[in-house]
Amino acid sequence: MKQKLQYLYIEIKKTFRILPRMLLQAVLLLLLTGMIALGGVKSMEREPLTPGADIAVVVREDNMLTRMALNYVENMESVSRLCRFRQTTEEEGFRLLDKGEVAALILLPEQLVEGIMDGANPTVDIYFPKHAGLEAMLFRELTEAGEGMLRVAQAQIYGADDTAQAYDLTKQLSVMEAEIDSYNLAFALDRLALYDEETVAVFGSMNVMQFYLASGMVLFLLLAGMAMYPVLQREPSVFRRQLERQGTGKGWQCFCQWLCGVLCMGVLFGLLWVVMALAVKFFLLASEGMPDTAAGQLMADNAFWYPAGVKMGIAALIVMASTAFVYLLHSLAGSRTGGILLVFVCSVAMVYLSGGIVPSVFLPETMQKLGERMPTAYLIQAAGGILAGSGIAVGGEDVAALCFYTVVFVGVSYFVRGRDRA
Amino acid sequence: MITVADITSAYGRKQILHGISFTAERGECIGIVGANGCGKSTLLSIMAGTLKPKSGQLLYYGRTAWSDAGSGRMRGDKQVIRSMTGYVPQENPLIPELSVYDNLRLWYPNKKQLRQELEQGFLSLLGIGEFSSKQVCRLSGGMKKRVSIGIAMAGMPPVLLMDEPSAALDLICKEDIRRYLLVYLERKGTVVLTTHEESELSLCSKLYIMKDGRLYETDSRLRGDALTGRM
Repeated sequence: MKQKLQYLYIEIKKTFRILPRMLLQAVLLLLLTGMIALGGVKSMEREPLTPGADIAVVVREDNMLTRMALNYVENMESVSRLCRFRQTTEEEGFRLLDKGEVAALILLPEQLVEGIMDGANPTVDIYFPKHAGLEAMLFRELTEAGEGMLRVAQAQIYGADDTAQAYDLTKQLSVMEAEIDSYNLAFALDRLALYDEETVAVFGSMNVMQFYLASGMVLFLLLAGMAMYPVLQREPSVFRRQLERQGTGKGWQCFCQWLCGVLCMGVLFGLLWVVMALAVKFFLLASEGMPDTAAGQLMADNAFWYPAGVKMGIAALIVMASTAFVYLLHSLAGSRTGGILLVFVCSVAMVYLSGGIVPSVFLPETMQKLGERMPTAYLIQAAGGILAGSGIAVGGEDVAALCFYTVVFVGVSYFVRGRDRA
Repeated sequence: MITVADITSAYGRKQILHGISFTAERGECIGIVGANGCGKSTLLSIMAGTLKPKSGQLLYYGRTAWSDAGSGRMRGDKQVIRSMTGYVPQENPLIPELSVYDNLRLWYPNKKQLRQELEQGFLSLLGIGEFSSKQVCRLSGGMKKRVSIGIAMAGMPPVLLMDEPSAALDLICKEDIRRYLLVYLERKGTVVLTTHEESELSLCSKLYIMKDGRLYETDSRLRGDALTGRM
């Protein structure tokens, strides 16, 4: 037993000897991932895209009604997000269209508004370039959608008119038309009323910031496993055999190496936690506690600052499972370069499958199902639990899965290392 | 006394050792020479307890280390092997990130004993005390080999098994190791070594040639072409 404890002591000593170098590498990795995360946050907070397409509009009869109608259409959300209207002459409009400076040309006829109101329905001509670009195609879709809506509104009016005529209800016709108009206008003004509201929980019970921070934490811990090579590497067979000769079996060797890995990963996790706490504090101070900011989203449950026993337990589980995963990969690879590559590829691929990079709903169904059972999915869920506190429940299934994966990974590592007699 | 009787070994279907037998007395040095891949290291691994033989018997000073007697199943007594032998493999079983002293601590759990060895014991004879605070990754090949021998000598075993101890070392280091082995033999230790070095062959009281997994005793004074001609 003394020999075994001595081996553990020496392994821990080796770990502490290597730790400063590993921390330096981890800090560099943290800076890199931090910059990527900052870029992501900035892009999330960016204003929506400004209109991209210029549309030339020729108003043949410039009166107040036409200007109002044009102004109304231009400021409709669906139109204003896609295009900008440029009022021009017919000749200039065609010239711009030919030169490709506008995506479409609209010719508004005389008596447009009056014609719509009295049912004459004058034609609005829209010209597109021969080789329409993306903007022109989008505008075509938009006009076709608008035309469809108008067609429905007209059909409603004619239908009501015919029905009133047939049943001798012409006195009530004006009331019916007013009803139909207000109904259609309500939809035109508030497009959202056309849709049923359905919430898709891409991030489970976490908000966007919590989810991506949790997956970022997991990705960082797994990638930091690349720097843990000196601790988790497959020792040279001659060294292992000498240890076995002295009574330190393969099982104990595996356990000690994994334990030292846990020690390293624990220190890295602590470092990450401190950095995140400082970052949140900085953001909160900078944004004066505004709930809309990234830090505000993170603090949604106001639990970030209260590390409880449960949180410590979950953190320990994350550290143990992550170390076991990295340990297995280093065992399978058997060499420094192979180990580093395998840890990088597997970590990124598994976090990707678990929806940690692109939300899983955008992935094919098979990949989604596969991703749900990945250890990284449970790790992200558990990390989310630590970040968001009481708002996120780290269920028994998550805890059981992480324990299961830890045991399996260490077990397979033992098997792989035991088989290697070279 | 070491008794190796009819030891056989195989990797899968490939037979590596065919009925190896020899004996060695206290203070005797046994040399085993042979071409690369002939089974020398396999034999030493079996004697050091890191590889299990297929059949045969191995005794150290009358105590059974490996035996298939009775049940027909090969059984080993790791405790006997551990206490009776020190093993110096071809590669050095060292942790490069740690100091020489830390590496030695792994094999010498008793701190006091280690200090004594470094100051006036075998380790000081090997000159390890002079560089015990150095990190292993900064040592020369010869220094590492000395530390390996020092590790093998933990617990002062009466039998020293050495697998090509002087391979790729400079002349000074070879001479240091040779001198150390002479002291060990004078103190009635038994050495079994595989080697290609003539300087080490001069230490051997018995010389064996291993060829295709079989061991043949030969004149221990044979050198050069006369020796290689028999391999």
